[in-house]
Amino acid sequence: MRKFSTLFLKYNTWLLFLLYCAVAFLFMRLQQDDVQAELHSGGMEFSAFINEHLMSFNSLFTMKRENERMMRVNTDLLSKVLSLETAAVDERNRRKILADTTFNASGFIMARVVDRKFSDRDNMLVIDAGWRKGINKDMTVLVPEGLVGRVISVSEHYAKVMPVIHPDFKVVVVADSCNSMGILSWSGGREFLAQVEHIPISSHLKLGERFVTSDFSTFSVRGIPVGRVARIKPDNLFYDVDIWLSVDFSTLTQVLIAPLKTKQEQTGLTGYTTEKKTRL
Amino acid sequence: MTKKFLVSLVLLCIVSLVQEFGLSHVTFFNASPDAVTIFLAFIAVTSDRNTSTSFGFVAGMISGLLSGNMGLHMLARTIGSFTASYFQTPNESHATVNQRSRRFYSAVILAGLCANLVLAAGENPLGVSPLYRIFVFGILESLFNLILAMVLNRLFLRQSLGYE
Repeated sequence: MRKFSTLFLKYNTWLLFLLYCAVAFLFMRLQQDDVQAELHSGGMEFSAFINEHLMSFNSLFTMKRENERMMRVNTDLLSKVLSLETAAVDERNRRKILADTTFNASGFIMARVVDRKFSDRDNMLVIDAGWRKGINKDMTVLVPEGLVGRVISVSEHYAKVMPVIHPDFKVVVVADSCNSMGILSWSGGREFLAQVEHIPISSHLKLGERFVTSDFSTFSVRGIPVGRVARIKPDNLFYDVDIWLSVDFSTLTQVLIAPLKTKQEQTGLTGYTTEKKTRL
Repeated sequence: MTKKFLVSLVLLCIVSLVQEFGLSHVTFFNASPDAVTIFLAFIAVTSDRNTSTSFGFVAGMISGLLSGNMGLHMLARTIGSFTASYFQTPNESHATVNQRSRRFYSAVILAGLCANLVLAAGENPLGVSPLYRIFVFGILESLFNLILAMVLNRLFLRQSLGYE
């Protein structure tokens, strides 16, 4: 130890010189490697890291409020998305109806099916058009594919429709090739099959023949497709005919309402009145 | 002693500033006189070796701070001061004024050459060859330093820092 201190005291000038040179070299090294800049950026990164974690820690306390806010935002967005999707579907259905070039929809009132009640016995539809839109009782409800039903009651904004597949619904139909007339009705069961009664056994009805509404009907305009013959069963005087209905009631979303047929004088002559429960 | 040290330190700062912002712009053939080297040589002659080396280190630090190349200037000034301190002349020595002056001039030349050597090895802003820089600029600068040192020695140094 003594030797060391003696040596140190003896060569202290050289040691000091070497120390200074070492410091100078260190500075040169730092300058060459941009260590100062790296230290500076490292310090900044460290400071940012600490600040970030402090912010994260603070955000834990405000998480509940943030979640509630996000939930409100999500609810608003979901509401908007649903509204837009519904509008898009409605528009698509409306265009689908209007795109049918074989069918002129001008003069018809368009409505949307907002409620329905389907069962094997009793079916009913509700549409979003009432007397404010000009809907009246006994107006014909249809789609380009065929007859849907008849308006049976009307409120300000809604109307109730008795579809073809209702036990009380009846309409006079005619075969478009042999002109055989009959009365269409539905006796329950399968919703795509209806029956046509009172077709004379002498008529030349064939399978697949199309039935349309007749001008004899008290409420329906003529020529609306109803369905095609699916089965013909001869009885004593009349054929017992089953027909495939043209309208798929399970996918019904948009409908058209035909203007009211003004046949007061005709109904007066035939003895039918608007109060009668069943119209043909 | 402390007062003298502090005064020297303040003077070093002033000289460094004067050198950096004044004398470095006075160039002859791309060489300029270096007042810091003259000051360090004077310290080396009049003080002990450790003080001289330390002053060289501090002078290099100041020059480096002002020029932007701290490490190299610290090294150059430290080596220059350390070598110049070989010409140290203690106060109690019986050297004449002329001998002291010659030692002082030798210290100025040696310190300037050493500092130039190190600076030439470390940086070359004019893009000239290192040998040209060492021998031409070094000699030119040493010559200018010698002239300036002689002027200063005649005017101020003998009286103000206790040569006589």
